[in-house]
Amino acid sequence: MQSLRLGSAGMRGEIGSALTPTLVINFASAFGTYVEGGKVVIGRDSRSSSPMLHIAVTSALQSCGCKIIDAGLCSAPFLQFLVTHLKADGGLLIGAGHHPAEWNAIVPIGENGAYLNNRRMQELLDVYHNGHFRNCVWNKIGKLEPLPEKAYDKYLDKICGLIDTNLISARKFKVIADFCGGSGSCLAKGFAERLGIELIPLNDTPTGILPHDPEPRPRSSFQVKSFMSHLKADIGFVFNSDMSRTAITTDTGETLSEEYTFPLVASHILLKSKEPCIVVTNWCTTRTLDDVVAKCNGKVEKTKVGQAPIIDDMIELDAKLAGDGSGSVALKDSVPAFDSYLTMGIILESMAVRNARSSELAASIPRYHIIKRKVNCHSSHAYTLLRNLKSQFPGAKLTEHDGFRFDWHDGWVHLRSAMTEPIIRMIVEWRTKEEAEEKALQVRSLLERLVG
Amino acid sequence: MSTSLKISVSGVRGVVGESLTPSLVAYFAASFGEYVGAGRVLVARDTRPTGTMFENAVISGLLSVGCQPHILGVVPTPTLQMAVVKLRANGGIIISASHNPEEWNALKFVNSSGIFLNDNEADELLDIYNQPYTNYVAESEYRNVHIAENPFGIHKDKIFSQIDSELIRKSKFKVAIDCCNGAGAPYAKTFLEELGCEVTAIFTDIDKGFERTPEPAAKNLGALSKLVREGKFDIGFAQDPDADRLVLLSSKGEALGEQLTLVLAISHVLEKTKKHGNVVVNLATTKAVEDIVKTSGSEISYSKIGEINVTSEMMVKKAIVGGEGGSGGVIWPAVHPCRDSFTGMALILEMMASRNESIDAIVKSMPKYSTVNSKVSCSGSRASQKVIRELREKYAGQKPNTSDGIRIDWEDRWVLVRPSNTEPVIRITAEAKTEKTAEDLAAKFKDEIEKIIS
Repeated sequence: MQSLRLGSAGMRGEIGSALTPTLVINFASAFGTYVEGGKVVIGRDSRSSSPMLHIAVTSALQSCGCKIIDAGLCSAPFLQFLVTHLKADGGLLIGAGHHPAEWNAIVPIGENGAYLNNRRMQELLDVYHNGHFRNCVWNKIGKLEPLPEKAYDKYLDKICGLIDTNLISARKFKVIADFCGGSGSCLAKGFAERLGIELIPLNDTPTGILPHDPEPRPRSSFQVKSFMSHLKADIGFVFNSDMSRTAITTDTGETLSEEYTFPLVASHILLKSKEPCIVVTNWCTTRTLDDVVAKCNGKVEKTKVGQAPIIDDMIELDAKLAGDGSGSVALKDSVPAFDSYLTMGIILESMAVRNARSSELAASIPRYHIIKRKVNCHSSHAYTLLRNLKSQFPGAKLTEHDGFRFDWHDGWVHLRSAMTEPIIRMIVEWRTKEEAEEKALQVRSLLERLVG
Repeated sequence: MSTSLKISVSGVRGVVGESLTPSLVAYFAASFGEYVGAGRVLVARDTRPTGTMFENAVISGLLSVGCQPHILGVVPTPTLQMAVVKLRANGGIIISASHNPEEWNALKFVNSSGIFLNDNEADELLDIYNQPYTNYVAESEYRNVHIAENPFGIHKDKIFSQIDSELIRKSKFKVAIDCCNGAGAPYAKTFLEELGCEVTAIFTDIDKGFERTPEPAAKNLGALSKLVREGKFDIGFAQDPDADRLVLLSSKGEALGEQLTLVLAISHVLEKTKKHGNVVVNLATTKAVEDIVKTSGSEISYSKIGEINVTSEMMVKKAIVGGEGGSGGVIWPAVHPCRDSFTGMALILEMMASRNESIDAIVKSMPKYSTVNSKVSCSGSRASQKVIRELREKYAGQKPNTSDGIRIDWEDRWVLVRPSNTEPVIRITAEAKTEKTAEDLAAKFKDEIEKIIS
C-alpha cells in the first residue's frame, strides 16, 4: 500500500505510516528554502493531526528564517486570498480536503495565491530531494506575525464584490449549509449577513471528525436532504472540509450530482457576461458543461485534472472562469482558488436574477448519467496497464492529455491513475443510466482482469 | 567529519542551524514520547531566541506518537521537574542549553519522577532513537495540546511548604537579582517579594536574548556587582538562563563564587533540620562542605559529576541535602531532588534571618579554600586512561576516588584530574587553604601529567 504521495498538490500521506514530523519538516524546509526565507502564510484544517503538521511546518519555516503569518484554522481559499492580500512570497496549506480521514497533506501556494504549477512544483521537489535546506543560525530564526485584524472582512468583501448582494438579499433565501466539520464555518455568519440570507449551518463545529464522506456528492448530502422540506429551505449546500468543493441539494430535496455545480455556475456567469468567454475545465468533466457553454457561445478549454493545472490555464488563457466535475469553481476576478463561498454566492445570485427556485435551476440544464468508480492499483503498474488498454476500444476517439479519454458519439469513458491515492479512477458518462451502467461494468471487468 | 552535535546522558545538544535542526529535534522528541509510552509529557523552554522553534518541533514529535503535550512555556528547569510529579506526567522535555552561549540549544529529558534520565534510561532512549522505525500513531489516536496554567505556582508552593517564610518576611531584606533575561526572570521578583524582600531585578526581559554571558561566573556579573556595590543591598543573587544555578554576591557587591552557594545552603539545612544524615556532593565540590558536614556529625559522600549522578546517589543514600559545588547547584530533596536557584535563594535568606547575621558575617564564619583550574592538552581516551592509572598507583596511599577521573585528597587540600567530555583536554582542579598552595598543587600535577603523556 502506497501511503505517501509527492506531486502536483504537494505532500500527501497517511498519518502514522507515512506523513511523519520529520518528512513534514523536510518538506516545509524545502519550501522555506525555495522562497529564500521570505514571507509565508500558513493555515490548517480541522483534522486531528493538522495541529501536528501545523507546528512542524512552523518550526521548519522558523529554521529557514521565514517571516510567518499564521492564519490558524482556516479554509483553503481564505489562505490563498491571504497570500496575495498580504503580499507574501507563498503559503503552506495544511489539510487533506476531500481525502479520507486517515490522510493529511501540505499544499504549497505560490505568491499569486494559486497552487504551484507543474514546473514550479518540480523546482520545489528538486530542492526537497536535494536535501540542502536553509537552516539559519540562532539570531536569524524566523518570527511569527499575527494575522491582520480585518483579514476576514477583506476576504468576504472581495467575494461579495463580485456578486449582486442587494438582489440576493431581497429574496431572503433560507439556506442549509453542511460544513463537514471543517474550517469553513467560521466565516458563515459574516457571509450570511452580507448576503442577507438565513443560513442554517450543519456540522459547523471544526472537530476534525468527519461526519460523512468528505467528498461532496449525493451520498454525502443525506443530512442536508433530511432537513430541506422540514425547514422549507430554498437550497442546500454540502462543502468539503477545506471549502474548495460544493454540491447542491434543491428545494425539492433532490441531491444533485457534484458534476452539475460547475455547469450551473458557468451557465449563469456566461449569461451575465456580454461577450463570449473561455471556460477551463479538465478532461473528465460532464458533457453538460460543453452543452451549456456551447449554448452561450463560449469556448471550453480542457486540461489535466487537479486544481493546479486548471487554475494555471485560467490565468494563462485569460479565461473568465474555471472548474471541474468535483464541484470546484474559480473566477478569474476572484482569488485564484476553488472557492465554495464564491460558488454559493453565484448560485444564489443566479436564483435571484432568474427569480427561480433551485429545483428550476437544476431543471434548466441538460443531464447525463455519470458513474465514478475506483479500482485499486499501484500507480507504477497503472501507467503501463492503461497504455495496454488503449487498443481495447477501436471505435472510440482517443484523447491522451491526462490519462485516457475514449469518446463515442453518445458517451465517454475516462481512465486515469489518481495522483493522490494508489487507484485508477474510472468515469463513465452516457445519456441514460442503463447505457452508462452497462459500459461501466464492461470497462471495470476489463480493468480488474488486467490488474489481476 | 567533526560535528557540534553532542548526544549524551545529559541530552542532545548542538549549534542551531549547524547540527541542531527542527527535524532532528522532532525525531528525538518522538523517540522520547515513544519511550515514555505516550500519555502526558510536559514541555518547557528557556528564553533563547531559538526556543519557540524547537518547542514547535518537540510538540510535533510528541503529537506524532500519540502524546498529549502540556506546554509550560518559559519556566525554570526545576519548575518542570516538580510539575512532572504534581501533574502525574509520564515525563518532560526541557529546551535549554543551560549556561551555554546563545548559538547553542539542547533538549534535556526528565522521567516520571521528575529527575533527569540516568545512564541506563538514557541508553534505553538512545536505543529507541537509533532504530530506523518509530511507532507513529494513526490520525484517530491523536491527542490535543494542553497549555498548563501557572506552572510556577507548583514550584513556589513546594518551596514555601519547607521554609519559614514568616521569619524571612520579618527581616525585610533588600535584595538585588540578575536573571540573565532567562527563565527565572518572569518569576524571581514576585517570588522574593512574597518573602518580604524589597527587590531590584536586572536582566528581566525574556524577549531580548542574553545581554550578559550566561554563565554566572564573577567575570560576567559586572552589572549586578555594580548595582549592589552602589546601592544598599543585603545580598545579591545571580541566576543562569534556566534558573537551576545560583551565585551569591556579598553586600559589597563581591561575587562569592559557585562553591560558596553550596557551602552556605548545606550548612543551613544541617543546622535547620537538626538531624544527622547523609550529604552527597560531586567530586568537584570544595572541601569546605566536607568540613562542615563532619563538624555537624553527618556523613559526606562524593558522586560523579553531572546533576543526575548527584541526585541518583542522594536517593540511594537518602541524603538530606547535596549538590554541585562547581555550578552553584543546590539540591534539597525536601523540595525536589534537583538543582534549584529558587530553593537556594529561600535557604540563604532563611539562614540570614534565623542567624540574624549579614551575608558577609556568615561567609566569614565558613571554612575558606582557594580553587585553581588548569588543563593539559590530551586527545584520545587511551592517553587519559594511562594518566589516571599511573596517578592511582603513585598516590595509592591517599586512597584516591576514581569514579570520575581521579580525585586525590589530603588533610587540607585536594586535586581532581578529569578528561573533559567536550574538548580534547585533561582538566585539573586543585583546592587548598591558600591561593599559593592551590597554584603549586595544580602546577605540580600539570607537570606530572605532561610527563606521563610524553
